[in-house]
Amino acid sequence: MRLVIFFVLLTTCAAVADADQPTADERQFFEKSVRPLLEARCFKCHGAKKQQSHLRLDSRAGMLRGGDSGPAIKPGKPNESLIVKAIRYDELEMPPDRRLDKREVETFVRWIQMGASWPNSENSPLEPRQPGLGITDEDRDFWSFIPIVRPTLPAIQQQGWARNEIDYFVLDRLERDSLSPSTGATKRELIRRLHFDLLGLPPTYEQVNGFVADARPDAYARLVDRLLSSPHCGERWGRHWLDVVRFAQSNGYERDDEKPLAWIYRDYVIRAMNADKPFDQFVREQLAGDEFDTKTDDSITATAFYRLGPWDDEPADKRQAEWDEYDDIVSNTGAVFLGLTIGCARCHDHKFDPIPQKDYYALTAFLRNIRRYGKDKSPTHYEQDEDAIFVALPSGRGKTLGVTERSGTPPATRLLIRGDSGNPGDEVPPGFLQVLCREPGEATAKLPTRTRHVSSSGRRTVFAAWITSSRHPLTARVIVNRIWHYHFGHGLVETPNDFGRSGSRPSHPQLLDWLATELTRRGWSLKELHRLILTSSTYRQSSLADNPRAITIDPGNRLLWRQNLRRLEAEAIRDSVLFTSGSLNRKMTGRGFFPKLPPEVLATQSKPGNGWDDSPPAEQARRSVYIFVKRTLGVPLLETLDFASPDSSTPTRTTTTTAPQALILLNSSFIEDQTRVFAERVSREAKGDRSSQIIGAYRLALARTPTADELQVALDFIQRQEATDSDLPALAALCKLILNLNEFVYVD
Amino acid sequence: MLIEVNQPGCTGTRREFLWEAGAGFAGLALTSLLDEDGFFAKHSSAAERSNRTNPLAAKLPHFAPKAKRCIFLFMYGGPSQMDSWDYKPDLQRLDGKTIDIEVRHRSFKKQTLLGSKRRFRQYGESGLWGSDSFPHINEHLDDICVIKSLYADTFAHGSGLIQMNSGRVIQGHPTLGSWLGYGLGTVNENLPGYVVMLDPRGGPIAGAANWSSGFMPAAYQGTHLRSKGDPILDLSPKTKITRRAQRDQIDTLNALNAKHLASRPGFSELQARIASYELAFQLQTTAPDALDLSNEDARTVEMYCVDAPRPGEYDEDLGPGPFGRQCLYARRLIERGVRFVQIYSGGGHGDQNWDAHKDMEKNLTIHAPEIDQPIAALITDLKRRGLFDETLIVWGGEFGRQAVAQDGGQGRDHNPKGFLYWLAGGGVKGGHTRGETDDVGQTAAVDRHHVRDLHATILHLMGLDHEKLTYFYGGLDHKLTGVQEAHVIHDVIA
Repeated sequence: MRLVIFFVLLTTCAAVADADQPTADERQFFEKSVRPLLEARCFKCHGAKKQQSHLRLDSRAGMLRGGDSGPAIKPGKPNESLIVKAIRYDELEMPPDRRLDKREVETFVRWIQMGASWPNSENSPLEPRQPGLGITDEDRDFWSFIPIVRPTLPAIQQQGWARNEIDYFVLDRLERDSLSPSTGATKRELIRRLHFDLLGLPPTYEQVNGFVADARPDAYARLVDRLLSSPHCGERWGRHWLDVVRFAQSNGYERDDEKPLAWIYRDYVIRAMNADKPFDQFVREQLAGDEFDTKTDDSITATAFYRLGPWDDEPADKRQAEWDEYDDIVSNTGAVFLGLTIGCARCHDHKFDPIPQKDYYALTAFLRNIRRYGKDKSPTHYEQDEDAIFVALPSGRGKTLGVTERSGTPPATRLLIRGDSGNPGDEVPPGFLQVLCREPGEATAKLPTRTRHVSSSGRRTVFAAWITSSRHPLTARVIVNRIWHYHFGHGLVETPNDFGRSGSRPSHPQLLDWLATELTRRGWSLKELHRLILTSSTYRQSSLADNPRAITIDPGNRLLWRQNLRRLEAEAIRDSVLFTSGSLNRKMTGRGFFPKLPPEVLATQSKPGNGWDDSPPAEQARRSVYIFVKRTLGVPLLETLDFASPDSSTPTRTTTTTAPQALILLNSSFIEDQTRVFAERVSREAKGDRSSQIIGAYRLALARTPTADELQVALDFIQRQEATDSDLPALAALCKLILNLNEFVYVD
Repeated sequence: MLIEVNQPGCTGTRREFLWEAGAGFAGLALTSLLDEDGFFAKHSSAAERSNRTNPLAAKLPHFAPKAKRCIFLFMYGGPSQMDSWDYKPDLQRLDGKTIDIEVRHRSFKKQTLLGSKRRFRQYGESGLWGSDSFPHINEHLDDICVIKSLYADTFAHGSGLIQMNSGRVIQGHPTLGSWLGYGLGTVNENLPGYVVMLDPRGGPIAGAANWSSGFMPAAYQGTHLRSKGDPILDLSPKTKITRRAQRDQIDTLNALNAKHLASRPGFSELQARIASYELAFQLQTTAPDALDLSNEDARTVEMYCVDAPRPGEYDEDLGPGPFGRQCLYARRLIERGVRFVQIYSGGGHGDQNWDAHKDMEKNLTIHAPEIDQPIAALITDLKRRGLFDETLIVWGGEFGRQAVAQDGGQGRDHNPKGFLYWLAGGGVKGGHTRGETDDVGQTAAVDRHHVRDLHATILHLMGLDHEKLTYFYGGLDHKLTGVQEAHVIHDVIA
């Protein structure tokens, strides 16, 4: 009996540690402040050698299990944690020899308050690999490199909750910790969640009511289908992809010139998402669409992927710059499609992952024949090489930004010793990542002869075929995880661009693999994947954090015992404001537009206003995905609200909450203007007294009727505002207030 | 139940509420102070783990810092070392002699040496050499340490500025101020921790990339503080509205948000957002207050040359007024706990900044007087207020200039192969020089230091170990100083 209990506890604790991987900050805090203190003052009596009072303090599990006096810590509750009482010499007195000083006590208190996270010993501090180690069996057994085997569904106890297979995996994981999932979200919450998730726009009051009243059993599925087929869905999900591929429409650096026609790529991505282009095809087009036997406008446009990075027309060192350009592509290709930090192997073998430096150059060799972005203008300067970067569209509808190759035999690629372009080593032929190849000779690429691909070496076709092949598990795992990340606010793997040893481990490895197999079974259809996730009970849970046990065990919700409350991204906030005021211009496609920026923002440029055009008012009311992305001049509203940096791949957006955000949402010209338009719309549409105006404003902005309390608060507010000497009409003041509500920018 | 709306006047509870929610200027929730109060043990149990720490909460340095804050005077365009504090009698002597010189990487040209037209003499007890372009700063050379042997990787402004600010010639990495914010947090929640002030003639090349937080959260990026109009973007409403009406707006908003929060207990980010509005409101007084010179005594204002007229000799010149005003602002900001203030001298292009391609003398005539008296005043003022010893002042540009005349003219081209920076204040060995360039001032020759050594030294003086200050992104623990070895220049530290 005792043995059984011990076993249960142990699995629970291991699971907690797994589900609770600390953030970088927490890791640093633990390693710098907490661990040294534990080592110096606690382990002697409560460590590997001695366990006085049966207490071990050298792992989180040990602390949670506790000793004779009970658990040593209660994560999040320092004052209820025994260890804190002990070090405060309250009841217990530990350590007995010398009391910790006030600072040391505070360190423990802070750590427990932050959730007492304990970095995995396998994860942190991460031991660097032995240089020149080669690829070992152990490397191939790392979780992300193991081939995908479709898992069988686990047995679950709680019947009736699971709607589809996803729920089996999630529920099983929860049940192993004796946790239950949260109740389902209300219909009102669900429709708002779905609208923002799929369209990045709120539902209307009428849509909400329609859905709430829709008693058909498949009402929810119908809603999902309706939203998935909206053209706005491609805008929303296309922007996620643009984050990952570092999309921008200018080159950065001193001149920061426009990348002409980069917008065609943006439109292609949106179109691909809307058309549910199979993801493997989407990848092949971006990597090698110009080498297709049958080229299409899409396949040509997609290759702008190679042209999106920052580019310096006056680089520090021209010789090195060529390799920096390849590095931008290789690093991003690795991160975007494979979820690997291949760029770390440019100068030496990867420090943590089994990626020898040779592999980096083997991948580079696939791309070496690409014509470079720029050509020589002077000994020090380049200029955009229009012959190289513009490609005619097969339909004859003009040109697009894209990739072309040099004629003749591709140049040999040599490994650069320490990454130094002046120090070439052995020649490296095109090849694949060795750790992903299990057969002898598999890593060597079989290259086509030139005849088949007249204008191109055909190398990238080979590369793209490998990336999307079932011979390795990464591409499918990585995209499934990205989709999950955007639906839940965090991925099953919390580091979507890093499936290596320094990344996080999957919270639900079997679910991840099941989804990956499901994706390929369904012809790489992302919409099918969306549908699967969205119709699960897991997705449909309430976001309320009202399960005390779950809060204690898994405060970060990695086990998915609830949905996450999320703040809208910058674009969704801006678009919702336009939607609410009624001025949203739903026009799609094109070069994009330039929101009017205040002169003081333009003054930060060395040539104020350079490269920032005037767009007509109607254009300025378009969705944010069509805002021109200029590398050295961000739109403050977006930047302040954590827009993706266009200089490198952004796998996840951080969410910060700052006073400048409040200032912009209260005082910027954009909000000021939209507030007035919103107020005019309210007075126009909601005839009658103040109360009906307030009700109208709530319905437009929040798709609901205000409560009696809220109505009264608003009435009083308007009355007080009218009594002051302000130029902003009282109704507009209320409208502005509503646009600033937490409810407006947060989704349950 | 009816929702309580705080009426204007109950500041006590508001203050308490703010502390409880604890959002800083650029941060979110939970300061260490709140930790000590056990706030979250009382009020919050769930909330997303990743959002539980304020990115800008004050943090302990790695070791006792010599300086608590830093004022970085950025001479955009690249000031000339041989016309300021790297006196080269040989260059004067060899003026007009033709030599082969590397004008860009691996690109050599025949050019003629250009001796400085400036007069040099030794100053103070230390006897450091200074040119007559900077008579006022020279009076403080006993407090200044000149590092003469720096080198960087690029001949171009764009990548040079980015390297000087972020350590890398490639765009997209966090800048020095971001690293300091990340490493040390901020001690004033009502002001940004990282402030950038620009030259009225324009921003530097690549603009906002120079104060970007790169792959760190946006909360670490520099805030552009303006001398005219709203000091912070959108600080005040565009329409006339009374303070009382605004107060009412924030109170009503927060009361409604409190109700929203009450039905979603435990989410500290909702709480933080409520606090962020309160702080935004307070910022409308604290930010202008930091820039309000009306309480400065007239002598101080005059010392900084705040109201000095434009000389008007050249179209480009401004006189010391704008930079002097910004130096005085810098002092007021650091007094209020702002960690890192960067002021750009020079903006836009050509002779609007220190980029003296055509005529060295003209460029110096424009720019040297713009900064000379203000910087001397800053040093004097900090000393007299007892702030000098805990404030690090850094002076320099993205690179220096060449010993030769550019293409037969009277100007000098860019030079990353040898240039100087000077440091003063907290922890700096005054009246001292470090390293040497060659005889003509072209190339760092003795005790050479890459820019990353300068960065390591700045971090060190601020109490941070450049090896330990790492940020994990893209599979790598990134450092300001990059992957190559960097060394603190201990010789410049008192």
